[in-house]
Amino acid sequence: MPKSFLAPNALVGVFLLLFTLAIAIAGPWLAPYNPQAFDALNRLQGPSMTHLLGTDQFGRDLLSRILNGAPTTVLFGVFATLLGVSIGAVIGVVAGVAGGWVDNAIMRILDGLLAVPELLFTLLIVTVLGGGMGQAMLAVAVAFAPGMARISRSAVLSVRTRDYVRAAVARGESGIYIVVREVLPNALGPIIVESTIRVSFAIMIGATLGFLGLGAQPPSTEWGLMVAEARQFMFRNPWCVAIPGMFIAMSALGFNLFGDALRDSLDPRRSH
Amino acid sequence: MSATHVNSHPAREKAVVFNATAPRLSIRNYSLAYATSNGPVKALNNINLEIAPGETHGLVGESGSGKSSMAWSIMRYLPSNAIEKHGAIRLAGQELLEMSPRQMIDIRGQRISMVFQDPSTSLNPTMRIGEQISEVLMAHRGLTKAEARAEAEAALARTGITRPKEMLDRYPHEASGGEKQRVVIATAFACEPELIIFDEPTTALDILTARQILDLFNRLREETHVSALYISHDLGLVSRIADKVSVLHHGDLVEHGPVNEVFNNPQDSYTKRLISAVPHPDRWLGVAKPETSAPLLSLDKVSVRYSPLTFKEKVLKAKPDEDQIFWGAKDVSLSVRPGELLGIVGESGSGKSTIAKALTGLNDFTGAVKFGDISVKGRKEISRDYRRKVQIVFQHPDASLNPRQTIGTILSRPLHLYDVVPAAEIKNRVRELLELVRLPAEYADRLPHQLSGGEKQRVAIARAFAAEPELVICDEVTAALDVSVQASVTELLVNLQKDTGTACIFITHDLNLIRQIAHRIAVMQHGRLVDLFDREDAQAEDRNPYTRALLDAVPVQVSLGVYETEQNDE
Repeated sequence: MPKSFLAPNALVGVFLLLFTLAIAIAGPWLAPYNPQAFDALNRLQGPSMTHLLGTDQFGRDLLSRILNGAPTTVLFGVFATLLGVSIGAVIGVVAGVAGGWVDNAIMRILDGLLAVPELLFTLLIVTVLGGGMGQAMLAVAVAFAPGMARISRSAVLSVRTRDYVRAAVARGESGIYIVVREVLPNALGPIIVESTIRVSFAIMIGATLGFLGLGAQPPSTEWGLMVAEARQFMFRNPWCVAIPGMFIAMSALGFNLFGDALRDSLDPRRSH
Repeated sequence: MSATHVNSHPAREKAVVFNATAPRLSIRNYSLAYATSNGPVKALNNINLEIAPGETHGLVGESGSGKSSMAWSIMRYLPSNAIEKHGAIRLAGQELLEMSPRQMIDIRGQRISMVFQDPSTSLNPTMRIGEQISEVLMAHRGLTKAEARAEAEAALARTGITRPKEMLDRYPHEASGGEKQRVVIATAFACEPELIIFDEPTTALDILTARQILDLFNRLREETHVSALYISHDLGLVSRIADKVSVLHHGDLVEHGPVNEVFNNPQDSYTKRLISAVPHPDRWLGVAKPETSAPLLSLDKVSVRYSPLTFKEKVLKAKPDEDQIFWGAKDVSLSVRPGELLGIVGESGSGKSTIAKALTGLNDFTGAVKFGDISVKGRKEISRDYRRKVQIVFQHPDASLNPRQTIGTILSRPLHLYDVVPAAEIKNRVRELLELVRLPAEYADRLPHQLSGGEKQRVAIARAFAAEPELVICDEVTAALDVSVQASVTELLVNLQKDTGTACIFITHDLNLIRQIAHRIAVMQHGRLVDLFDREDAQAEDRNPYTRALLDAVPVQVSLGVYETEQNDE
């Protein structure tokens, strides 16, 4: 394992990330109860031996709901980011490579989009498209694209003036070869790092949308929706708000710290 | 300077008086290492060095030899992972290793000052020059603001700046490189220190400016009798200004003594190697002069314009306003014969690299370039056939190789692209190319960062020769390399030229080097070709005054001849 992953922050990040991914993959099979099973006698219980994390307002087992909600929540973040990064990276690389008026036109439009805060932008799109997971994912992706485009463009620009790219131009290489073989491999680092950090934002925005009722719909076990539904019972059993909230924070932190470590390990000055 | 300020520093006065005969700086058995994740790495090993009052001591070494570590140990400004094993560093008899950080603050700038390599980064860009000098005077000599300003003006005047009063109110970016270095030197001398450390003070400057800075240094040294430690990789330069010299090699002081002795009769094998690697204009290394005079490449009034077309010119097709246009190169006409090595020299910004970029299709140009039977009138007309025949090698070996491709991939690319050899033979050919530049065949599987700077430059040269070109343009290929590596890369290039008969344009700022290998030398200034002459005519009467000035400014090493014969006998 590269040295930069052994720093305390990075270790915590790797651990949290592995934990999050493990429950995202195996969660539904590990759940001790049916996440939708009502239990009228055991509503709003605190943690106990029968219900390790307690129960919600309908007496549903919180642990089972968290485990069942993990794939939806985490995969939402991952796919929304992937989609956003792909759109953004293509736009950014085109702008960076083409230069001139193409670059100018693209960048001015993106500047306009960037002026709108990400969450507000997402809300706008969801309002137009309507609620639901798919729409929310698309909204997050579109909101991410301008920022990613800017980062890819600057990564491409910094590589484009290197001597090895000049050497390829002087050699008479085709534009495609120069972009794919000389520029992209060296510009990928910052793009990958930025994406891992953005997954955490996507998870949080997804949770926020769920909380506002614009993302996942009941009886989904999406974590943000769980917080929203339990909100009015917060004072009778704080656990049913705190626990999904904690899991959201944990997964976001995991991706964030992992992204930082990845950035350090891709920086040749730090890893050599 | 006035007696009053000396009296205001009784402690300093005492130290000097008590040790009047003792050396200004004395380093004894000093060892330094840096803690890294791979265990301690030694930087300096048992260094013994003394600098007498008024002496200029040259410290010579290549990159990684520990020169800079030495400077920082004396300044007591080492990074936190430095381990000082043993030894003593004494300034006028006072042990610096025992000083507290607080005491060192008083010593730095006042008793020891330092002049750095790059004047553009050693001045604070957001402070006026006057403030930066006054700051030192106020901190160390307790002057008031007004006194400090007057003193700063006087200090600048002593460095030969023509209008010191105006200079005080300027920001660093409003001064030229030479002026900035004068300001740094003025600051260093401002508190009349006992010792000044010069860390390659002329390396970042142009030839003519560097010469002026050296003259200034010599003058100030005579006026103030300061002791100086002059760190440099340039042996020729050190031989001209230092009284004594020490040679550092991998943290060991391999040789030291009076300059003339060390340079004329070096004892250590490393010193010998280093001295013989210094370019000397009278030692011809190049290939035989080409017989034909029919040009292989000819440039006819080639111009490169850097300022973009204005609205008026683009839309209204107005005649351009000549004064407003910035030309990277203007009306350059020259030719290269087959098998010839043409040197292009000039200071930074003279347009020499611009010409290289125009010829390799990296910059657009106007005018005509004729290469054999190919005729080109602009970047768009450059064909792949032309590109194959004209190859370029860049200055920085670190930047010119793609860090994510193996050496094998890098070298096979031109072979693929130009169909130099059939696909099945590419692997063999890569091995041959590595052999050609004297690198082991297993390097094909390595990545650029696993190679040293000189090795990387060899790979870049191999890549250029892989295309079997008729002309190779070398843009400052040796400028980023150490002296000894520089010599071997030059030799390699000349050998390749001998074997392949390829013509070469060698762009450099090093006049001694170019006179060793070039048949003809072109001199550029402000984007224009000002002189073009055969190597033999370098000292001729009718040389352009600018060429003359450049030639005179270059330090030629003292009496190398005696030693050279000795080397040949070995």
